[in-house]
Amino acid sequence: MMTFRRLLVAGLLSASVLWSVPSSAGVAEGKKVFDANKCAGCHQVEGPAKEKTIKDQMAKKGPELWYAGSKFKAGFLEKWLAAPQPVRPLAYNSLTEKNRGDHPRLSPKDASEAASYLMSLKSAEVKPLGIPAAESPKGRILFLKKQSCYGCHSMRVRGKMAGGLSGPSFVAASERLNPDWVYAYLKNPKVFKPVKMMPVYSGILSEAEMKELASYIGSLN
Amino acid sequence: MAVKRFSLTIFLLAFVLSVGASIASAETVEDLYRFHCAQCHGVKGMGDGPNATKEMPVSPRDHTSAVEMNKLTDSDIINAITDGGTATSKSSLMPPYGKTLSKAEITSLKDYLRKLCNCKGKGK
Repeated sequence: MMTFRRLLVAGLLSASVLWSVPSSAGVAEGKKVFDANKCAGCHQVEGPAKEKTIKDQMAKKGPELWYAGSKFKAGFLEKWLAAPQPVRPLAYNSLTEKNRGDHPRLSPKDASEAASYLMSLKSAEVKPLGIPAAESPKGRILFLKKQSCYGCHSMRVRGKMAGGLSGPSFVAASERLNPDWVYAYLKNPKVFKPVKMMPVYSGILSEAEMKELASYIGSLN
Repeated sequence: MAVKRFSLTIFLLAFVLSVGASIASAETVEDLYRFHCAQCHGVKGMGDGPNATKEMPVSPRDHTSAVEMNKLTDSDIINAITDGGTATSKSSLMPPYGKTLSKAEITSLKDYLRKLCNCKGKGK
């Protein structure tokens, strides 16, 4: 009986090791690519967030990536790292300097591996709720009228660019952002970015409104 | 006795250090303004921040204009910062900061705006 149990446990263990291989493929290689390109010089990959003051935030050179796997949609980082296009109209932490779009470009192989590594970095704060991307009238009213999110986040309206420049652009947000993360960020922003230019909306918007907004933002092309 | 005095000194030293640390971590009003307000109102408060693009339906208020700022009472300013533009029947492009900034920080920003416009506001 004991031997059978041992065999069963060993079998299950080896099966779980085998099954976990596909999801972790490229993670170790990606970490090597990340280190070789000195990405940690600008991007924090270990949580939790440590910033306490405006000066701490201003000292950061690029967006933190320690929850990249929860924030981004599958496939986005791989494409972006091979052909980077500015997400922010302005340089990180600047109000005056334009984003020069000079982020280092990786080879397709390195981009794929680095993306695997970054997508393995998840935050337990982002629950897999499966919030759908949907351009609902309620979300649109919140985004355009009630809170005027476009005041800081640019978007495409009938083919034309519109909106403010201080926040990340929402053009093609549907390819980039996981609506579950957008909701988690609205609900508990300080976990992700304790000191930020965007106001805290938790306690101002209801749970349902935050979900509507996450859904709408996730639908923007 | 010596031990008691020693521990008292340690206690006082720790107290002084912790008070010092809490003062050091507080934001200056200039930093608060540059970080939160300047994105629309501009670094110098002239209403020319990077979000003041020409497609916007309204322009951010010029905080250096005494004519504009005299139309507002101190509580109008505090309400607008706390609950957003709609709290004072203005545009929702001015977002609410009531869950972002403390009451003391909002009051210090109101004082800073009065310094920028060099004006006292309606009712004064």
